[in-house]
Amino acid sequence: MQKVLEGSQAIAEAVALCRPQVIAAYPITPQTHIVENLSRLVANAQLKCEFVSVESEFSAASVILGAAMAGSRSYTASASQGILLMAEVLYNIAGMRVPLVLTCANRAISAPLSIWNDQQDSMAVRDAGWIQLYCANNQEAVDTTIQAYRIAEACELPVMVCVDGFTLTHTLEMIDIPEARQVDAFLPDFQFSRQLDVQHPHSAGTLLSPDYYSEARHAHHQALLNAQQVILESDTAWEKIVGRSAGKLVSIVGNPDADIAIIALGSVLGTLEEAQEIYTHLPSRLIKLRCFRPFPTATICAAIENAKHVIVLERALSLGSGGILGTEVRSILHTLDNPPIIHNFAIGLGGRDIPVEIYPQLIEACKDTHPPYFQIFDVDLQKLPEEDR
Amino acid sequence: MPILTRGAFAQADTAKMYKTGSWRIQKPYHQHFSAPCHNACLAGEDAQAWLAYFSEGHIQKAWETLVSVNPLPGVSGRVCHHPCETACNRGQYDEALAIHHIERYLGEQAIQHGWNYPLLSQTRHVEKIAIIGAGPAGLSAAYHLKQRGYKVDIFDNLPVAGGLLQIALPPYRLPRNALQAEIERILALGIDFQAQKQLGRDFSLEELHPQYAAIFLAIGRQNSREWQVDGVIPHHLQNGLDMLKEWIALGKLDIPDRLAVIGGGNTAIDLARILRRAGAKEVHLITHQAHPDSSENDMMNAIPREIIQAEEEGVQLHTQRGIQRLLLRGEQVIGVEMTRMQTMQHADGRSERVSFRGTETVLHVDQVVPAIGQQLDLKALEHLSTTVEGMPVTVHGQTDQPHIFAGGDMCLRSSGTVSGAIGDGYRAAIAIHHTLQNTPLPHPTQTTTITVEQLNLHYYESSPRLHTATLTVEERCKNDASAEVETGFNDEQAKKEATRCLSCGNCMACDNCWTFCPDSAILKTQENASNSSHYVFDYDYCKGCGLCKTECPCGFIIMQDEA
Amino acid sequence: MTEVSIPIEQLRQQQPRYQGISPGHRACLGCGQALAARLVTEASGPDIMIANATGCLEIFTTPWPESAWKVPWMHSLFENTGAIASGIEAALKAQGKSSKVIAMGGDGGTFDIGFQALSGMLERDHNILYICYDNEAYMNTGVQRSGSTPHAAMTNTSPPGKARMGKRHLKKDIISIIASHHIPYAATASVAYPSDIRKKVRRAMHIEGPTFLQIHAPCPLGWGHDGSQSIAIARLAVETGLFPVIELERGALANVMPIRNIQPVTAYLKAQQRFRHLFKKADQRVKEELAHLQALADHNIEVYGLQSDHTDKLDTRGAALVHRRGKHWA
Repeated sequence: MQKVLEGSQAIAEAVALCRPQVIAAYPITPQTHIVENLSRLVANAQLKCEFVSVESEFSAASVILGAAMAGSRSYTASASQGILLMAEVLYNIAGMRVPLVLTCANRAISAPLSIWNDQQDSMAVRDAGWIQLYCANNQEAVDTTIQAYRIAEACELPVMVCVDGFTLTHTLEMIDIPEARQVDAFLPDFQFSRQLDVQHPHSAGTLLSPDYYSEARHAHHQALLNAQQVILESDTAWEKIVGRSAGKLVSIVGNPDADIAIIALGSVLGTLEEAQEIYTHLPSRLIKLRCFRPFPTATICAAIENAKHVIVLERALSLGSGGILGTEVRSILHTLDNPPIIHNFAIGLGGRDIPVEIYPQLIEACKDTHPPYFQIFDVDLQKLPEEDR
Repeated sequence: MPILTRGAFAQADTAKMYKTGSWRIQKPYHQHFSAPCHNACLAGEDAQAWLAYFSEGHIQKAWETLVSVNPLPGVSGRVCHHPCETACNRGQYDEALAIHHIERYLGEQAIQHGWNYPLLSQTRHVEKIAIIGAGPAGLSAAYHLKQRGYKVDIFDNLPVAGGLLQIALPPYRLPRNALQAEIERILALGIDFQAQKQLGRDFSLEELHPQYAAIFLAIGRQNSREWQVDGVIPHHLQNGLDMLKEWIALGKLDIPDRLAVIGGGNTAIDLARILRRAGAKEVHLITHQAHPDSSENDMMNAIPREIIQAEEEGVQLHTQRGIQRLLLRGEQVIGVEMTRMQTMQHADGRSERVSFRGTETVLHVDQVVPAIGQQLDLKALEHLSTTVEGMPVTVHGQTDQPHIFAGGDMCLRSSGTVSGAIGDGYRAAIAIHHTLQNTPLPHPTQTTTITVEQLNLHYYESSPRLHTATLTVEERCKNDASAEVETGFNDEQAKKEATRCLSCGNCMACDNCWTFCPDSAILKTQENASNSSHYVFDYDYCKGCGLCKTECPCGFIIMQDEA
Repeated sequence: MTEVSIPIEQLRQQQPRYQGISPGHRACLGCGQALAARLVTEASGPDIMIANATGCLEIFTTPWPESAWKVPWMHSLFENTGAIASGIEAALKAQGKSSKVIAMGGDGGTFDIGFQALSGMLERDHNILYICYDNEAYMNTGVQRSGSTPHAAMTNTSPPGKARMGKRHLKKDIISIIASHHIPYAATASVAYPSDIRKKVRRAMHIEGPTFLQIHAPCPLGWGHDGSQSIAIARLAVETGLFPVIELERGALANVMPIRNIQPVTAYLKAQQRFRHLFKKADQRVKEELAHLQALADHNIEVYGLQSDHTDKLDTRGAALVHRRGKHWA
């Protein structure tokens, strides 16, 4: 059903359609509206579930871990500092191979304190062993949330659905909220092979010796790589039901043969799509990366094949190194016969606006055949003291 | 090589694959230590064993365990001086257990319910055994031999069985119905009691020999020890034991008002007490030994409780006194001159009685009665090597003739107690059995007695010993002189007192080890494990921490270095 | 040597008391915590799910691929046990299941790092029994002081020296803090009194809502005593008044285990290496510390009314009594 909804509310409705049995909630801007909406659904008996208002994000992640281990589909959402506070649990959840879904309403990390959007938070936990899916718009956020449960439970891996804070979570859009029957047809009842069971007890979270730790890491890594297939299949299956894809692992918009490719994650893709329509004389292939973990190496290689320039645009950085996504894209170029020139920019950090006018500037930057390794694209050095420029 | 599970989960209850027993450098095991009561018992009873049954409510089983060693609990429960209680570890914690009272209670229960002796053996033997003397030693031997399948005949010069128990123990200490019932129960096993058959008068040992494969002699001591003071023997000197027998037989004695009994043993005390009952106005008891209340080493060889009761009844004790001189008017005794005495220990261990000049006192009495012990009558024992001081025998009762065994008061090693005699009969019976069956005699087991320090007293409630009522002095001496002075335990008292047993050195199945083992390496059994505890160590997992040993209240677990 | 007529493994199957932990675990010799945990499961029975904080218990029971647990059990992290248990409980509630959730942690995981998650769990009224095995330091990491370490105790981060006499601070009064959450039941217990532990666990199992049990459990390694003395030392902790055994309902003192024969604190301290600096020489500092510890014990005795009037069958002596054939065990 088409509805004009705030992103957070749409996500909440999508979560509710998945019939989670346990939700753990702790407020943090800009995630708060999601759990508020869910708590309202619970209060109005539209959603039957245990709504656990925890005392920290650390406990939020822990509660859903316990709940999933005990055999219940569970959910939480967080952002920024909350994600960092959860970090230890996030690694733990993934290492225990527990199917869970978490929405990250992407926000910058303090200090300096910023409540506004970038993706430093989810990027900070990119190595935790979770599947990370980034949404370009709220429809994708709804569809990805629903798919996330199917993926998580099929792979026994947790899925983090990354939605840009404010940009998506607080934006009203016309969104198609699927029917309950559609979701029920798509998403089987929660089944977890290793759930705690009084009749068939086992012990989870054991101590592993050096003789096996490498194998455990290998298995986890392999599971994430293998998840690509499940992510694709889920999207395809969902597309069959609702008639739209949520973006596969990667999707391409614009001219797929254009010399300039732009690769990015999240809502900035919406801005760039709009720019492509405005600046038709500046063709580009827009590579919409939805699945950051697992990193779909082969798919990205295929998408950038024959491009002369690849602009890697990201909303976070690895301080003291450079771009995170850029580094990873660079790391796969050796598989290409004619590797493109990489232009790696961070942009829109801490909520700085990314206007459509940025597009021609980006295209212009490709004229530089020896670009810097990495650069914050919209940095204004005049604002800095001399010694910090 | 195990295959990694997803998320590294583990199947439940699989740590058992890992045998932590390999860590162990010390190993706990169950070690029986003899309880002090067991080691101290002259009759050989393991009081702790029957107390265990008793406190679990298995009254008959307790009695059966008791009588598998001592067939006369109703007797020994009353007359024994109970060294078991002196030895009882509980005495060092609060008060010793009243073992003799529970023993007596069991004896009474058996009579009341008509319990039969448990069948100890199914085997029947062709050999006949002659037992000479139907006192406690003879009865005990007869019982144990009969129980082992032998034919047993008892010869005694008295018309009834029981020996000194019948003729010399005052009924206020040993009611005759109780004695009679226990004797009859023994004889009813099929023992032929030949009354009024006296060795040396009616038959000789040589005459018996062809008929009987073995002979057990338990004839006691017939002759009074000679008594005199500086060569003076008073006219009409009466022997204490004879007076005691006379009073028991006739219920009266022809005596003057004031008497002095000489001696510090049970006969002396018994005599003093019956003299009061027989009407003596003053009864003095003079002994060179010390009062049990004192801290001297050389103490009166009588049961402390009897001494106390004698004093209650008006017997005047003159302990640590020697008689220096008899005061005579003509040949008639009119008094004694006493001095203070003390037993002095020399550096070489020798002890000597020393009398102190200048401490002389005179006591006016009308008669002096020595009760200083008996000697063996050597008549009819010509072919055996012996002296009047007693027949030398081994711990098994063996004499210098292979088919003749001896026990009880007649032996040199005798303790002169009823329970000692019962024990002699028991040990000789076993020795006779093994000799006849040509099997080696059991080694006298020298088990270590467990000390109170080896127990964990924390687990025992401090509770005072239960006391029974005694008749008032009036009731004892005025009304019925034969009335038993001490009443026994009732059901409730007996049960309560039995639970005070600390179970020294033996498992009481308290569950402490089972409960406290951090490694679940102690398992509880419904049956008795072969070591007679209710627990077994699972050495696959026992790490040897020793908690079980520390927390075992009974000291039943000890730690041993792993080989 | 076969001591019984049936194989020992079969005998193990026939044990008359349920145990949720089986042998083969790697606890040290005489480990108080291993014992306490087993006693807890004896009273809880098998219909439970356990959330276990990081710590010795977790480590020594579950070295992959083995587990000593016979009940559903999970370990996540050090500081989130209250929350993990909350999640399990919420899931069971959502599924309409009635198994009791038991959270377990050491004193570090309870007094210190896991305290917030525990407090949240209590406040949210989850139907969980939280067990704290209190061995008064971080033992799993090699004996460092925790909020529970008693005053003056030596640990590797509170060593005595010229300027210090062991831990400077006091043992955190966790039971009062817990009870202040106004939960239905909070209690302390000691491994020296197994029946008392089982009774308290049973009581907590029957309460719908958050309950808390702090079990004093000696660590031979960390306290410096022989493993065979664990119970004796635990008992002294109670008998000196240093570890009061109490029950609180809705924050109010409901019951105490009175002390029959109050022992001087030195009897307890002397038995442990962690207090050995208090007995090396009798200088002024030592005297003051010993007097301080005695004062703390006296304070407990006074505040909780621990002096037995010798009539209580369940005072420190009465609760320890043994009986033939083990009939008294709860």
